[in-house]
Amino acid sequence: MMAARVVLRTLQQQTRCAVPFFAQFQRAKSTAIPSSYIPQTSLSRPPWPELPVLDREEEQKQHRAVVQKVNALIENGEYGRLFAVVHFASRQWKVTNEDLILIENHIEAECGDRIIMEKVLLVGGEDFTLIGKPLVSRDLVRVEATVIEKTESWPMVHMRFRKRHRFQRKRIIVQPQTVLRINSIEVSPGLI
Amino acid sequence: MVFLTLPCWIRSRGPDRYWKVQELLKNARHFRGRKNRCYKLAVRTVCRAFVYATKARKVKRRSMRTLWISRIAAASREHGLKYPALIHNLVKSSVQLNRRILSDLAITEPRTFQALATLARARQQEGLRAALGDGTEPTAPEQPNPRTLLQLQQNQDLQPEMY
Repeated sequence: MMAARVVLRTLQQQTRCAVPFFAQFQRAKSTAIPSSYIPQTSLSRPPWPELPVLDREEEQKQHRAVVQKVNALIENGEYGRLFAVVHFASRQWKVTNEDLILIENHIEAECGDRIIMEKVLLVGGEDFTLIGKPLVSRDLVRVEATVIEKTESWPMVHMRFRKRHRFQRKRIIVQPQTVLRINSIEVSPGLI
Repeated sequence: MVFLTLPCWIRSRGPDRYWKVQELLKNARHFRGRKNRCYKLAVRTVCRAFVYATKARKVKRRSMRTLWISRIAAASREHGLKYPALIHNLVKSSVQLNRRILSDLAITEPRTFQALATLARARQQEGLRAALGDGTEPTAPEQPNPRTLLQLQQNQDLQPEMY
């Protein structure tokens, strides 16, 4: 009986066809399976994702159209409030007009001095963004700020304690601070 | 030390104990229970509070960074990219925005974040295309034969050095 069952199973395996089971009963209908049908298995397609077809000229046309549009927007001044990402005092700040910035160190400028922040990483408005790689050029953007206040931070306590060893050290740290007000962000149409 | 009469032998202790105690208790006023009033209990608790604050200032930087990363990951998944793919492709495209700014843009400037995501995806596909090449099977590069290397070296030794 066991031998007969094994023979039956091998026969079935030999006669198994590539077309799926349901198609055997639906071949007479109009919805026929195309001959190029490959069932989806782990090896039926390559493991990397299918990339969309690339047309270099089309892509360049689209890029040129986008750049012209943005240039036109900037020339006609059809933007509202602009924001910029500025690298200043070893930190990056997302900044708009009339913004206040608190910087936790001393700056070599007196109160009331106007400052231009030159390292701009990104400028954006409602309809366009200029992403710098890594910086936007100085001819395109101008970010101006004024030094308002130079103070010290609240006294922070640095305390070290080790239990059972009578070790306790207390130190008061006061950081110098500077407050800047961002006056304006200006964009000039210079994109090619 | 000139103590001429008995009353003058009375020690004058430190005159500012009250103020020293108040300076410590002012750090404990927002605590719960007797430790906001009694000096002996407040001393221990205030010391622990200062130590926790000191350690937390260091840990704050770490936890803020993990927060930014999880926010950027969520925002990039909304646009069909994963966090490592986004960051790696932005770095390869030489966009040096840090995680704090990326998370702020994801929250307040969604269109800009979408632009960054499309930039990263384009760079990713470009990299995949460059890796795939023409679609032909890649051939193994020729391993340099040690004999040919030796001959090249000998030739170089024999040739007169040009200055």
